Amino acid sequence: MHKWLLLIAFMTLSMPAHAHKVIASAWLDGNDIEGEVGFSDGEMAKDGTLVEVFDDQDNKLGETKVTMDGLFRFTPTKPVAHHFKTNLGAGHVASVIVSRDELPENLQNPKQAETASTPQKVASSTPSVQSPDLKRMIAKVVRQEVQPLRKEIASYKEKNDLQSILGGIGYILGLTGIVFYIAARRKENKNT
Amino acid sequence: MHIVDGALSNEVVIAGGILAAGGIAMGLRKMDMEKIPAAGMMSATFFVASLIHVPIGPSSVHLIMNGLAGLILGWMAFPALFVGLLLQALFFGYGGVTTLGVNTFTIAFPAVAMHYICRNGVQHSNKKLAMAWGALAGGGSIALTALTVSLALALTGEAFLPAAKLVVLAHTPVMVIEGFLCACAVGLIHRVKPELFNTFFKEKQVQHA
Repeated sequence: MHKWLLLIAFMTLSMPAHAHKVIASAWLDGNDIEGEVGFSDGEMAKDGTLVEVFDDQDNKLGETKVTMDGLFRFTPTKPVAHHFKTNLGAGHVASVIVSRDELPENLQNPKQAETASTPQKVASSTPSVQSPDLKRMIAKVVRQEVQPLRKEIASYKEKNDLQSILGGIGYILGLTGIVFYIAARRKENKNT
Repeated sequence: MHIVDGALSNEVVIAGGILAAGGIAMGLRKMDMEKIPAAGMMSATFFVASLIHVPIGPSSVHLIMNGLAGLILGWMAFPALFVGLLLQALFFGYGGVTTLGVNTFTIAFPAVAMHYICRNGVQHSNKKLAMAWGALAGGGSIALTALTVSLALALTGEAFLPAAKLVVLAHTPVMVIEGFLCACAVGLIHRVKPELFNTFFKEKQVQHA
């Protein structure tokens, strides 16, 4: 009986520690902001989860929904920072901020975008790398390549180091000592 | 079980903070020299136990061990569990610093409740009966914690029943495991150190008189 208990204890101890923390990230896709929401153990948010968009002053800019693959998409219309907030229920909330300078260029400074587009046409005889379609395709490929890496980093962040655990226990020991000290002084004061 | 920053409305966060502060003050007043090591031990137990995540289905749950902490510590469970939660929030980002009060209350309040419900039961001279009371304390405190968490979420605006169902359902396996562990602990204490409960409870009665 006791051997079994020990075995179970060891089995649970050696299991990878997964916290069900919520992670969210967002990036640019053409003129849209695309993002994903999910749990840190790799599970994505459910289809149809509401994502609300706010600006810096907590004014609601709009809302969007998570699609089948855990992604959401929002077309920014104002050149302000976008805060994406979502509630996955049971106290799991996530938020991600897309700052102003991450927004699509044509939104950041509409006038500059127009003037910039003229020299592009002139140079179009050479294979233009700036062609928006190509740019989008490259961005997409890079994102797909980086995806597993990002997941790995996210799960790495969740790892509980033995050092931290031991450190925590050390803190508790120290605090116990402090409380002992205070209690001893209290006793001494009472006696005198 | 750890509610994160921003999940609750300000009123709930403040109310949780006040309740937790009251509990901690109460616990510190009851803390005698003899009980400090036990409080530290239970704090460390909670700290480590809630780092062990057991994957169940798509999600994962972790042990809390607030039932055992409550049985042994009574009101002192408040400061002991608060310390554990504080370190978890700082080191691992579990829960959040602003929701610390709410989290302390949702975990320590059931511990104290179970202490008063089960303290006579676990002292029963029949070991089997005492272990049954221990199981009740272990499982019951988890159920009560799940309900308190749902209540905190409901006060913020989430519908109570679906949230409660989700939280309670997710913690049913933990309830079983903790009930079992708590029963084993009570059985062990019964055999090895029966005076652990005795001294602690008797001193409390003297204090009340």
